[in-house]
Amino acid sequence: MSRIKDQMPVLIMGTGLIIYGLIAKTGALEGLAKALHTHKTLDLQITMTLVVGAIALLGAFINSAKEPGNSNFDTFVLQPLGGIVLILVMAMAIRWYMEPLVKIMSKSLQPLLGFKLYKVLNLNYVVLGILAGVVLTNTWGIPKFAAPGVKCARFVLKMGVIMLGARYSFAELAKLGVYSVWLVGFFVLGTVFLVLWLGNIFKQPKSMTGVLSAGMGVCGVSATVAVAPVVKAKSAEMAYTIGTILSFGIICMFVFPTIGKLAGMNPVQFGAWAGTGILNSAQVAAAALAFNAVDIKTLKVAEIFNITRVLFLPIIVLVLATWFGKETGQKLSFKSIVIDKFPVFILGFLLLFAMSSMGLFSPPSHYKGKYIDVSYNDRTQVTSEEWETLNNAMSKNAFSGLSTEQLEAVTNLIEQRQIAGNYDDRANKKEFDHVGRSRMTQLEGVLAAAKANQIKLSGEVKSAIKHAVKQVHKKSKTVVTLTNCMIWFFAFGLIGLGMQITKKSITQAGGWPIVMGVISGITKATLSFFVVLWLVKDVVLN
Amino acid sequence: MSDEEKKVTIETGDAGKGSTEIAEGANTEELEERALSVFSSDRNEDITALIFCLITTFLVLLFTKWMV
Repeated sequence: MSRIKDQMPVLIMGTGLIIYGLIAKTGALEGLAKALHTHKTLDLQITMTLVVGAIALLGAFINSAKEPGNSNFDTFVLQPLGGIVLILVMAMAIRWYMEPLVKIMSKSLQPLLGFKLYKVLNLNYVVLGILAGVVLTNTWGIPKFAAPGVKCARFVLKMGVIMLGARYSFAELAKLGVYSVWLVGFFVLGTVFLVLWLGNIFKQPKSMTGVLSAGMGVCGVSATVAVAPVVKAKSAEMAYTIGTILSFGIICMFVFPTIGKLAGMNPVQFGAWAGTGILNSAQVAAAALAFNAVDIKTLKVAEIFNITRVLFLPIIVLVLATWFGKETGQKLSFKSIVIDKFPVFILGFLLLFAMSSMGLFSPPSHYKGKYIDVSYNDRTQVTSEEWETLNNAMSKNAFSGLSTEQLEAVTNLIEQRQIAGNYDDRANKKEFDHVGRSRMTQLEGVLAAAKANQIKLSGEVKSAIKHAVKQVHKKSKTVVTLTNCMIWFFAFGLIGLGMQITKKSITQAGGWPIVMGVISGITKATLSFFVVLWLVKDVVLN
Repeated sequence: MSDEEKKVTIETGDAGKGSTEIAEGANTEELEERALSVFSSDRNEDITALIFCLITTFLVLLFTKWMV
């Protein structure tokens, strides 16, 4: 009888999930989902809630019928089941309700604040998940039935880190300008070593220093999450790092554009500086737009520098895994550092990165599954109405004011009905691809010029060009699905890790991580400011 | 562990909330590490995560690339 009582929360959650799934199946939640912009996930909501609900009920019945045992099935499935279901319910609530609600609320506050709060504070499922875990553990505490399940968090987080490898590709790094790779590489590695050195000076634990160095050096939150298991960082140390990065980024986001304008930086210089000095991707974009909202160049350069920094993640993971193995190892032989101490799951991350770079998931030159395909394809053509609009505009000489290259790109779009290379060059794939891509860039330039009111184009013409550009931007279904798996693994892992952050553990970490973060952040921002002013004049891209 | 060995009381938990007695000379860092995982060692945890991910990747490739 007491066993049934113990399993009651799991039974309630399982029944609740099945009821939710059945209600969603009737279509009753469609209106709500549309309002929250989650209607595309309704099929997933139905499947996930019904499957998880059924497993929860089955597990709860088995747990109430049998004595707890010591078999693998008991240790890895039956005992942690309650906690796993609780975390999954929380992850679903965050992904499908809390995150969209936060987005809607910050959008409605935008006219008042002047910026989107969720972007500035990075209130996505990562931060919301950790916060939810922290709130639960520090208010009601972790329920007894869920305690063994919470211990699965780090394991699931490691699965997310392995999946992260599928999003990046080496070809993307090779494509970037040599200048940006050297510049960013210098600052990423420089910051990592600076933080490691500061950690030594301030006598901080290796795990804290390791995770903070990755967060401050590479790309903020995802680097922190990826490196935390490598350096065996505690949950509180991870939370501290994320907090430090985000707060530093918020300050940078407001200070960078002002300094950039005072120093008279050009769009390329500011883009390079923001992409190097600010850590969080959303904050980089916000700072670039704050500096120059119409010239697409600033944002583009900032994003390229940001991507370059993110692509250093696999290298930094290797460096820190070796550093941590060396720091904690007894013997300092190559075998003990690289083979014995090297975390196996990082090999998985590198394996997926290699598979992604070889083009197994998407064309090798993709970034986060996105790639450009300018080959002939009926599906990438503009519609007949759009073609009519463009053709009429051309005959009425509506494209005056465009440069020769831009005009050639528009003329060719009308001729071929899609963005592509020259038909006669189609056998020479490289040349064909190059011409197609440069036409796409020219058309993007036309749109930017129209946005900045340098040329006047009608709404229909702009929308036709926009559609043509959109058609050649493809997204790999495989990488999108793998990314979705990663997001769920991260959401699960971070809620679980959040549950391990108590007030006591936060106090134990002290204030030194913030001091180290601020010193390294300011050093990086200042040095990169002068280096960018000195080295980056205008063209930094290939 | 012998019965005469000195024991100390520690707080276990972040997750578990409560306290337990352990040997004074025990490797507390290792214990703390293991208390936060269902696996008996890091290597087991890593290898299981890797296998699960490879299976997931194979299934994703099967349904989004090879079978479409």
